[in-house]
Amino acid sequence: MLTIDRVSKHFGGVYANRDVSMEVPDGELRGVIGPNGAGKSTLFNLVAGHLRPDSGSVSLDGRPLDRMPPHVRARHGVAIVFQGARLFPGMTVLENVMVGAHARTHGGLVAAVVRPPSQRRQERETRELAERCLARVGLEAAAQQPAAALPLGQQRRLQVARALAGQPRVLLLDEPASGLRAGERTDLTDLVRELNADGMTILLVEHDVGMVTSLAHRITVLDLGEVIADGTPAEVTTDPRVITAYLGAGGQHAAQHTGAQHVAHR
Amino acid sequence: MTRRPSTLLVVVAAVAACIAPLVLSDQTFFVHTVLAAVVVSGLSMLMGYAGQASLGQGAFVAVGALTVALGTTRWGLPPLVVLLLAPLVAGMFATVVGRPLLRLQGHYLAFGTLALLLMVQTAMSSIDALGGAYGVSGIPAFGVGGWTVTDQRPYAYLALACLAVVLWSSARIVDSRFGRAMRALSGSETAAESAGVPVGWTKVGVFALSAAFAGLAGAVTAFFTPYVSADSFPPLESFTYVIMAVVGGLGTIWGGVVGAVVVSVLLQALNTVSSQPGLPPTAAPIIQYAAYGTVLIIALLFLPRGIVPSVGSLRLRRPQGSPA
Ligand SMILES: Nc1ncnc2c1ncn2[C@@H]1O[C@H](COP(=O)(O)OP(=O)(O)OP(=O)(O)O)[C@@H](O)[C@H]1O
Ligand SMILES: [Mg+2]
Repeated sequence: MLTIDRVSKHFGGVYANRDVSMEVPDGELRGVIGPNGAGKSTLFNLVAGHLRPDSGSVSLDGRPLDRMPPHVRARHGVAIVFQGARLFPGMTVLENVMVGAHARTHGGLVAAVVRPPSQRRQERETRELAERCLARVGLEAAAQQPAAALPLGQQRRLQVARALAGQPRVLLLDEPASGLRAGERTDLTDLVRELNADGMTILLVEHDVGMVTSLAHRITVLDLGEVIADGTPAEVTTDPRVITAYLGAGGQHAAQHTGAQHVAHR
Repeated sequence: MTRRPSTLLVVVAAVAACIAPLVLSDQTFFVHTVLAAVVVSGLSMLMGYAGQASLGQGAFVAVGALTVALGTTRWGLPPLVVLLLAPLVAGMFATVVGRPLLRLQGHYLAFGTLALLLMVQTAMSSIDALGGAYGVSGIPAFGVGGWTVTDQRPYAYLALACLAVVLWSSARIVDSRFGRAMRALSGSETAAESAGVPVGWTKVGVFALSAAFAGLAGAVTAFFTPYVSADSFPPLESFTYVIMAVVGGLGTIWGGVVGAVVVSVLLQALNTVSSQPGLPPTAAPIIQYAAYGTVLIIALLFLPRGIVPSVGSLRLRRPQGSPA
């Protein structure tokens, strides 16, 4: 169970998050939506540890994460796919994914030079794990390419593969479908559903509200840093406050996506 | 990037390096160049992967040299033992000072490491136990068991052996769990952190590694010279390491070697020119300083990524060239 308890974070005069609370039980796929600047990425960064909240607390299974730096949270099973592409451009695609397993593996400088059998075995297992993760996102053919050479859509998928290599308990996906073509989008939707079916707790931020309503068990809606709605996709998409928020900030396009038509889809 | 130069090139360079000491009558330039390559290999990793410039690698060369000087003359330790101890002591020293130093960013870190060098120099010249005003002399010749070095030539091979060990371990480190974490840092610290990489400690690790290489070079210098004092490690030499690293190409295994050789040969050539009869005695230092600046500017203008990566991408651009 991931518990976000009244976290607030402000930048100058702007409240990016204000008293945001959420409880995500194990195995749930939670959608997080809201207009641009609503505070979705801020919330994810607070959970992953890249930002410190002004107040409030985040805990996993009752264990507070607040004092843990991001790399320790990774060891406790929190993984994040960032909104922008944040790759390791000087490394191959496969190596990028292998870094994703860092939290679950061991060995420093001495092990690197001496290479005892245990280290060799771990390297082999890490490589195989990374290959499996690449296959899951359909990038196995690009394994030996430099990561910087990938087109945008594949960079997004590479980030997902890297997060998977950590075999996380809680996966935070911040607009994973942005920059993907229609076919890639469907594949990603299937992958997210599959991962969740395997038991992974997933928090999904997406501007494509249709994608979120078709995937999520529950949806939390943020606007101007505050939770304005929380419920099943059907409840949320017909909530008048949600429709107003989207009309106010997102305009015509977002309003279409929030309408009841997507509920009818399901 | 970790492109490998062609095996042929490496073999030719290695053979040439092994023959050179047989041909040369004075080994000083050769030994210094090879040891500079040892120092610069570590610095290149630190700058290229951890993104941290150090203007004070001489501090760790000094720690390595002092370990040998004090270990042999004061504590009577065997030469081989102090040679192996020197990189460990330098690496440990870097681990201790690295935590606070590496909190500094960019230029501040560069100045912080320079300050460290000046502090080490001051300590060496003012504390008698570290040599004091007169330095430490009487360092015995290197030797193993009953065999003792009697002339200069074995030091050339000792330096080469150290360089070989350094390059071999660098190659293994780059392709390892630690190495991937270290290389990830130069791409995105945030992403590396969320993958579980302890950013602070990884940087300290690379710093300590670069210090260990520097300490090893310092140890051989101490046996070779055989005298160690605060003046043996002028800041200008530490600046030269940075220039060599940049010229050779940061974050490559061979960049350090290429940079050290190219810059050393160039400086030596200028030295020969400036000491020609007929030139005023002030010519030598002026030309030398001007040369440092010129070399660096030319390198940054025409080979901003350094020699090794630039040559590497030339090879990549060849039509049939498979990605090396
Ligand atoms: N590092 C920062 N410094 C200053 N202001 C910030 C910072 N990060 C976010 N903000 C502000 O906080 C608010 C919330 O930003 P956030 O990125 O969390 O929104 P978001 O919901 O992810 O938006 P988008 O849908 O555009 O990704 C915005 O007003 C943004 O300008
Ligand atoms: Mg965002």
